[in-house]
Parts: sequence; structure tokens; C-alpha cells
Amino acid sequence: MRLGRVVGAVWGAKHAAGLDGAKLLVVEDAGGGRVTAIDRLGAGVGDQVLVAHGTRVRDLTVGETVALKDVIVAIVDGIDVAA
Amino acid sequence: MILGRVVGEVWATKKHAALDGRKLLVIEPYLWYAPSHEVAHLVAVDAVGAGIGEDVVVCMGDPARRSLGTTSMPIEAAVCAIVDRIELADDRGARALTFVGGDEPEHDSI
Repeated sequence: MRLGRVVGAVWGAKHAAGLDGAKLLVVEDAGGGRVTAIDRLGAGVGDQVLVAHGTRVRDLTVGETVALKDVIVAIVDGIDVAA
Repeated sequence: MILGRVVGEVWATKKHAALDGRKLLVIEPYLWYAPSHEVAHLVAVDAVGAGIGEDVVVCMGDPARRSLGTTSMPIEAAVCAIVDRIELADDRGARALTFVGGDEPEHDSI
């Protein structure tokens, strides 16, 4: 999984059938890399989130019909780091 | 599998129900596993009781879920071993290794 911050949302009137009703958020990691992830937790712009990736992750969270394999699995409250 | 050091722990109230009660660790990969771009971390679920400052082995994908005793957790990385000691040929590795368990290890950036 990767940590990132939600920087925007994606809308597409024409989309794959499996994406009906899906909320897609653009997540940017600390290095500036971006990924579009599906959100079921209610994350918003500015939230730090944990994004999991993979077919199995997708199947377990949003269903096999969703044409996207990056899923927001946690909204981060805080991170303890080494002193 | 990835060799890395635990550099942080993530706290999250809102999360997938399968992650309840699990420890989420921020791992900084090192040696030849260090990613070529600037982001040098990943987050893995703890399966062995690892803590900040320890060197660990992270497994990815289905074995990661199995190491947590389940196949129904939506994660793809788990800490499956805590490193006591590593031996490498002298000409290998991006930096000299220091080891946890004895003196406080140096923590060079990647």
C-alpha cells in the first residue's frame, strides 16, 4: 500500500459499466506521482489516504466488475515516525 | 519480498473493516529494492510484531495476505519477518549495512 494525499476528483459521463456510481479520487504521493483510486470511505480533497492495489484488493472491496485496481482502504489520522 | 526498515506507523480511524486492529507500518525499502523514483516508502500490515527502527522483510501480494492468516484482507503488503542479521558480499549493496538488535543502527537515507 502507498500513502498519498487526495488532490482532486475525476468525473466521466461516459465510463465503463463497472464504474457506475463510483467515486474516483486523484491521489498524489510524496514524490509527486499520481494515481486515480476508487473511494468508498468518504475521503475528500486534502485527506491523507492509504491506497491498496491489485486484483484481489479490488475484488474484496468494490467488486469484480469495477475496472480499476487502486482502492482507498484507509483515511489516515496521523503517522508516528522514528525520533 | 522487500528488505526495508520500519520508519513509521499509520493511524487511521476510517478504514476497511478487515484492517481493524491491525498495525500499519511505513517501510522504507533499501539496497537494490530502493525504488528509482523519489517515493521511498510503502505501507505494510504487521504480522510479526515489528516496530519503528527495525529492519524487516516485507512480502507482497497473495503471500502477504496468507501470512496474516487470511485471504480476505484487501492489502498487498505484509511484514513477515524481522531481520536479525544480513550477510552480503562486499561488492553488493548501495550502502554499508548496519544491523538492529545491538547498537542503535545508523539510518542513512536511500
